[in-house]
Amino acid sequence: MQAKTFTMADLIRYTLVIAILIVFLFPIYWMVSTSFKPPPDILTRPPKWTFQPTLSNYVYAFEEANFALFLKNTLIVSVISSTIVIVLASLAAYSFARYNTGAGHLMFFFLTTRMMPGIAVIIPFFVIFKVIGGTAIGQALSLGLDRLGALVVCYTVFNLPFAIWLMHSFFQDIPRELEDSARLDGYSRLQVLWRVVLPLAVPGIAVTAIFTLIFSWNEFLFAFLLTRDVARTITVGVAGFWTQRGIMWGPLSAAATVCVVPMLVFALVLQRYIVRGLTFGAVRG
Amino acid sequence: MLELRSVTKEFGRTVAVNDLSITCEECEFLVIFGPAGAGKTTSLRMIAGVLEPTRGEVYFRGQSLKGVPPEHRNMSMVFEYYALYSHLSVFENLAFPLKARRYPGDEIKRFVAQMAEILQISELLDRRPGFLSGGQRQRVALGRALIRDADVFLLDEPISHLDAKLRHQMRAELKAMCAEKDATVIHVTHDSREAMALSDRVAVINKGKLMQIGAPDEVFHRPANEFVAGFLGEPPMSFVDVEYAEDDGRAVFLITGTDARLPASLEVSASVRERGLPSSFRLGARATEVSAALSRNETHNVPGEAFVTETLGHRNILTAKLGKNLVQVVTPPELTIKVRDTVWLNLSQENLHVFADGLAVAHPRRQSN
Repeated sequence: MQAKTFTMADLIRYTLVIAILIVFLFPIYWMVSTSFKPPPDILTRPPKWTFQPTLSNYVYAFEEANFALFLKNTLIVSVISSTIVIVLASLAAYSFARYNTGAGHLMFFFLTTRMMPGIAVIIPFFVIFKVIGGTAIGQALSLGLDRLGALVVCYTVFNLPFAIWLMHSFFQDIPRELEDSARLDGYSRLQVLWRVVLPLAVPGIAVTAIFTLIFSWNEFLFAFLLTRDVARTITVGVAGFWTQRGIMWGPLSAAATVCVVPMLVFALVLQRYIVRGLTFGAVRG
Repeated sequence: MLELRSVTKEFGRTVAVNDLSITCEECEFLVIFGPAGAGKTTSLRMIAGVLEPTRGEVYFRGQSLKGVPPEHRNMSMVFEYYALYSHLSVFENLAFPLKARRYPGDEIKRFVAQMAEILQISELLDRRPGFLSGGQRQRVALGRALIRDADVFLLDEPISHLDAKLRHQMRAELKAMCAEKDATVIHVTHDSREAMALSDRVAVINKGKLMQIGAPDEVFHRPANEFVAGFLGEPPMSFVDVEYAEDDGRAVFLITGTDARLPASLEVSASVRERGLPSSFRLGARATEVSAALSRNETHNVPGEAFVTETLGHRNILTAKLGKNLVQVVTPPELTIKVRDTVWLNLSQENLHVFADGLAVAHPRRQSN
């Protein structure tokens, strides 16, 4: 192999990158390390860099604080609402992109709903779910207060406009000729959507899926006000470690670490699509 | 038989195709030829059914195609920018139209292998279109269109984006393939050689209107108007502004800006008597049909000034100035002409086209040579 010369510019560049990485990754390191520290080692000053790792914080979070249920709730709500959002948004975005449905006004209207802060509608939502929860349909669909269905509906409503807007640009990038060509090759409109348009939109769908999933995963406001015990999610659960007796740093870090891991795995799996998806206009014949 | 009957297509206020009527016979190779923006592709898309005409209808074998979706028209199309499915391999691209018709798997394999062989892309079957060169993509696009027996093949500038050598080769291959299939083909191009070389008939269109339709020979030698004359052929036809006069009862053309005068033919004077004097008369000279000499003789009797000379190897092209008009003439390489030399051209009714108000009145008589 040819020896690559290492210039002064490279040195500066790498030093800078490493410095930035340290700044950004340190909090994560601190969170993970705290989660494995025995309680007496957590708040020492100066901080203890070496310690006897323990799983007691995890045990506490899962056994005493019911964190397994929160994690399950979050997983169910995020996955279901993201799936609904992707299905609806891809159909809507395709319609907006290809048939200019609503001449742009309809899409703008959808987008404006995203401009409203959630806090402005939280009380109406609370009342609506309180009433629906009392009906037979509401119970069948799990739509009441402290029910997962209510969160699924909220997250879908709040993610949909953004997802439509994001996917719209991906669909617009797919040349119309490809669809015309597939029609002439003998496929109906729906078959073309399924066999040509959607496969080409996969990077866009992946990016949108990640954004909506992360939104649902991180959501706090609705989860905090619409749930109490049964449907409580991880974000509210993590906040619950700030108790009247003080902040339980160990279990809190353990819970936060558990929250980060699934998103990290998900992002890694979809990484190649994200890279392709974020460089818009990557679809070419 | 495929017919466009008074088809008009408007996009907002722009009229892309204006009252166009063209008939294409079965097994005919029809070339739609025109400059950029003439409405060629729009016409083709209306035939394919991916665009609906604003007015007028497309008929196929006597039946209106109005409301028939593209997937039920049994037409096959090559798109100008290939329109390959980038998420599928070359094999899958070629198999795509066959799959829609539910061909069995082994038959698909056989057809694809056969087509790949013809197009010499057998070794590329596993690749994605993104990893192919322009010429290879072009072949895949052609293969995908020709792999099945469609009623009509629509080709939208299928070889225009290839480099000159490949284009030449593909032109011949395309003609052979279509002849073998005995197919009805409508081919769109802006390249006059392609139009001449491939077609059974050429439809020349401009600004969405049909200018002339006929066999390439006829369109070339008897252009209906100045547009067709100037657009078809290379180098393009030169036009000379002239004034019409009658001198002792004999009709003559005076070349504007010079004192040269040419006798006008009987056809011309008959036309003037019949329709009155047009506001403009122009003579059209094909570079191959006129010639130049360095000294005046019996036939070369119109003087001009050499303006530009271009060397092409087997022949040269001289651009001569006659008053304000520029006339291009093909000259043999042994005739050395320097810029600003006086040259003598053999302009006469024998080798000139005459246009009155843009429309052809007379053509050279020696057209059969």
